[in-house]
Amino acid sequence: MTLVRTKTLGSRTFDIANVILLGLLLVSCLYPLWYTFCVSISNKSAANAGLVTIYPIGFSLTSYKEIINDKLFFNSFWISIQRTVLGTAISMLITVMMAYPLAKSKREFTLRNTFMWILVFCMLFNGGLIPWYLTVQQYHLINSIWALVLGGGVPIFNVILVMNFFRNLPKDLHEAGIVDGAGPWSILFRIYVPCSIPVLAAVALFVSVYHWNEFFNGLVLMNTSDKYPLQTYIQQLVVNIPVGTNLTPEQYKKLSELSNRTLNAAKVFIAMVPMLVVYPFLQKYFVTGIMLGAVKE
Amino acid sequence: MVVDPTDKTLPQGDSVSNNQYTRYLKEKYNINVIVDWTAATGNDYKQKVSLSIASGKLPDGMVVDDRSFMTKAASSGLLYDITDLFQQYASSQVKQIMDSTEGRAMENASYKGRMVSLPNITVDTDGVHVMWIRKDWLDKLNLPVPKTLSDIEKTAQAFIDNHMGGDKTIGIAGPSKNTFPYATFLVSSNNLGGFDPVFGAMDAYPGYWLDNGDGTVTYGTLTENTKKTLALLADWYKKGLIDPEVGTRDNVGDPINANQAGIFFGPWWSGGYGNGDSFKNDPTANWQAYPVYSDDGKWNVHMKTTGSTYTLISKKAKPDVAKAIIIMNNALVRDEATFDVSVAVGWYPLRNVMAAANETEYEYNELLKVLKGETNPEDYNQPNSLYKLMYADAKKVKNVIKPPYDDLNVGNFDMTNFGDFQRMYSLMIGDRPYATIPIDKKVYSVTYNQTPTMETKWANLKKMEDETVLKIILGQAPIDSFDKFVKDWKAQGGDEITAEVAELLKK
Amino acid sequence: MRRWSVQKHYYLMLLPGMVWLVMFSIVPMFGIVMAFENYNPGQGIFHSEWVGWDNFKYMFQLNDSKTVLINTVIIAVGKIVFHLVVPLVFAILLNELTNLRFKRLVQTVVYLPHFLSWVIMATIVIGIFGYYGVANTVVQMFGGQPKLFMADAGLFRQLVIGTDVWKEFGYNAIIYLAALTGVNLNLYEAAAIDGANRWQLIRHITLPSLATTVVLLGVLSLGNVLNAGFDQVYNLYNPLVYSTGDILDTWVYRLGLQNLQFSLATAAGLFKSVISFVLIVISYRLAYRYADYTVF
Repeated sequence: MTLVRTKTLGSRTFDIANVILLGLLLVSCLYPLWYTFCVSISNKSAANAGLVTIYPIGFSLTSYKEIINDKLFFNSFWISIQRTVLGTAISMLITVMMAYPLAKSKREFTLRNTFMWILVFCMLFNGGLIPWYLTVQQYHLINSIWALVLGGGVPIFNVILVMNFFRNLPKDLHEAGIVDGAGPWSILFRIYVPCSIPVLAAVALFVSVYHWNEFFNGLVLMNTSDKYPLQTYIQQLVVNIPVGTNLTPEQYKKLSELSNRTLNAAKVFIAMVPMLVVYPFLQKYFVTGIMLGAVKE
Repeated sequence: MVVDPTDKTLPQGDSVSNNQYTRYLKEKYNINVIVDWTAATGNDYKQKVSLSIASGKLPDGMVVDDRSFMTKAASSGLLYDITDLFQQYASSQVKQIMDSTEGRAMENASYKGRMVSLPNITVDTDGVHVMWIRKDWLDKLNLPVPKTLSDIEKTAQAFIDNHMGGDKTIGIAGPSKNTFPYATFLVSSNNLGGFDPVFGAMDAYPGYWLDNGDGTVTYGTLTENTKKTLALLADWYKKGLIDPEVGTRDNVGDPINANQAGIFFGPWWSGGYGNGDSFKNDPTANWQAYPVYSDDGKWNVHMKTTGSTYTLISKKAKPDVAKAIIIMNNALVRDEATFDVSVAVGWYPLRNVMAAANETEYEYNELLKVLKGETNPEDYNQPNSLYKLMYADAKKVKNVIKPPYDDLNVGNFDMTNFGDFQRMYSLMIGDRPYATIPIDKKVYSVTYNQTPTMETKWANLKKMEDETVLKIILGQAPIDSFDKFVKDWKAQGGDEITAEVAELLKK
Repeated sequence: MRRWSVQKHYYLMLLPGMVWLVMFSIVPMFGIVMAFENYNPGQGIFHSEWVGWDNFKYMFQLNDSKTVLINTVIIAVGKIVFHLVVPLVFAILLNELTNLRFKRLVQTVVYLPHFLSWVIMATIVIGIFGYYGVANTVVQMFGGQPKLFMADAGLFRQLVIGTDVWKEFGYNAIIYLAALTGVNLNLYEAAAIDGANRWQLIRHITLPSLATTVVLLGVLSLGNVLNAGFDQVYNLYNPLVYSTGDILDTWVYRLGLQNLQFSLATAAGLFKSVISFVLIVISYRLAYRYADYTVF
């Protein structure tokens, strides 16, 4: 944020136009969320008919009840929390540990380029779903939490991002550490990490969002619904057939293809709530000026 | 195994591996069921099945909901050949049901002449598409029930002119971005929101392989009659009779459930099960079902394949296990009627429904008798009955349907138990046409399965077909583009495939 | 020898990550051979019939493969460009806001659409651009005729790119915002005292501090040059827009769905990977030769 406030007309016009533009963006981003919320609390039949546009029609929390009213929901919630915490912690640790050596120049770390290209290669090439699945199966990880935590593999993109950040930190930081007699591990964890809080916060956000929202691995790596993480559990709730209806599997399948909008909307909303809650807390890390004072010129 | 995650009917302490059905199997037949994995119906289940087959590791028994899974597993050598085992251990009841399909079920379940799966058999009426129309709108406008296509045209126009469904009244609802204008030989049933009866009324059978009677076959979409029907639909679209958003709409049920549309086409359960929200939004919506007749008064219908779900038995399963699976199927068919339905029957392991092909029509007729007092619900309490749902339905029907019974309208129905209401509505109104009116011309496809060349070329041909059909209907392409389509279709593999299908006739 | 004693630690730091990489990325990579086989699940990955380039030949011989490829590239490149530019501009504009509370509010809200799945977003988009939707209301206000946007092949690609950029710009801007926090505020004050106006401040201070991040993201995003976005297109498209909207992934999906053609899917994946890799290597080399800059 430029703390400079020049009073020229051009500057003021720019400010006003900026506010208007960002305000419009704000509204445009708000509308789909508002819409989703309205649909989720609307009367199911009205929503299914496509009648809900700007405000809810009827008021009904049935969809939320359908989702939450099951001990499996809380079970999955807990699994997701475990997965997200473990996954983010391990991922961040490894990311930081990999980014640091790779941020060194070729002079300081001979095989730096080799490792870098191995990572880039692995980021782009993969054997596909089936070999990956068979591999996880071979490690006997199917149906265990570790499949979820480790199955996604090394977050190479994040490693490169953090590496780039480390690279751009002033060399003086490193020198100061050496002068104080610190080894590479100390320099990494006591100097580089504290100075990189913004990017690490961003990356931690990306990783935890990934783990929290990820449903596909949860589906294929877990065998029964009591092992599903939250998103997998939620996403498989497709339609509510009234009790006592006797359907053939084919008819059931056909009916489940006709959508149930309130349920889908409620699913999305429940998934978003943790993010809505967490992000404002992380915002303080994106504030300017954290870097000041780290190094005396 | 497929589970419904919202199903709460299992009593405390029971689970997918331990419930009244697994206990029943253990006590009566000493079959111990061990569940490998479960997934919810739909895409989730498909995904896991796909992966299971792709990894080459099938569980001993698995029900799949698409024939391509069965053929892929079979062609990969993963399936147990049960041709002989089936003859030995299938119950006479099961064999009876299979025979009633005149060999089609057996062919459906086989690969290269050997039986490699247990097929399901669903009711014929799932493939009989009728016209669903708002009778209350007809009554308000004093119009008769339309019978032919030109009648429909006039009726739709009247609906629109009189704003029967509000400002945005839609005369005829059609397919969405995900559904199809007509059922095809690969997906031959349950096409809600298509135009199947319209094609039938013009004696056109797009998507089906037609036996020309002289040893050759024609792909139904290429015929002159199909072209004429497309021109008609394009004309209707231009006149604004069809939903302007046909083909792009997000969900096929929207205009129906919003009570904007006056006419749509679909199978017997479209009214009732299929459009429950329509009734919730307007309990006086009197949806009625009727056939659509050709100009010379004929009702032509293309008929579906026997079924599309299969119980696969892994080649690696022990013979005893394979035998057990066949017996489980026998038991289900025989005893389904006796199970306590407070626990959803979907929990029965490897449930793959074999229904009598005419079950719905049977129920229609018998339920009428119950209503009129000619028979008693207890009369249907027969444990070995082929019609497993009849007894339960007979007990309920009087609660749901009130007199007079001769001309059932939505007003006769009690919606308190909505699930029951939906079922009864679908049965008594949706199935009325097929149960009471004989079909003049039943058209079966020469084949409902893929031939070898189709495996590589069909996706492309289908894409061309879908594009051309929709573009013509929406007026984005002139009717003459149809001829180019035919030429291209033949050149890009169509002729090869047609020859292969003709080969099948020789068998 | 001091260098080895330090470098030893670098190897140690890399060790856990490399083990993880080998286990979950490199080992499964052997499955790429499926692209050259007629994969038969009964025989397994290493014993299926070898068919060499057949799968690739098949893919490119199909009549619409060229169209599909063109669609994929146009949509993917469009997305790459706008996914770089729009969040950047947004981050800069946000940075210029003085009211902290408004800034926080905007920042929080705009990143939320990222969490909406395309299943739900598609309903919204189709609703907005439907026959009776908001877009047509606006069109009619200006005297035009209502238009079937979703059926118009000529508009589909723009629609796909536009809605995706809108959905993701907030989330993508986060990394730029993080980068901006490292800017020394004194620089702005010093420059202002020297008489620089707003635009010059942005151009000479804000932008350069984001330069490395932009270049890095740009080069890495080349890895997505053939990823036009399956989820989005699948939920938005219909047969009327196949000519411009059918992308590699939806095309392979339809081919594969019918016949469970795993080999074909692997071949398509390999094709994508190779193209992406080549592009990344080229841009890396270019940056090194002409700007003396190592991207990563």
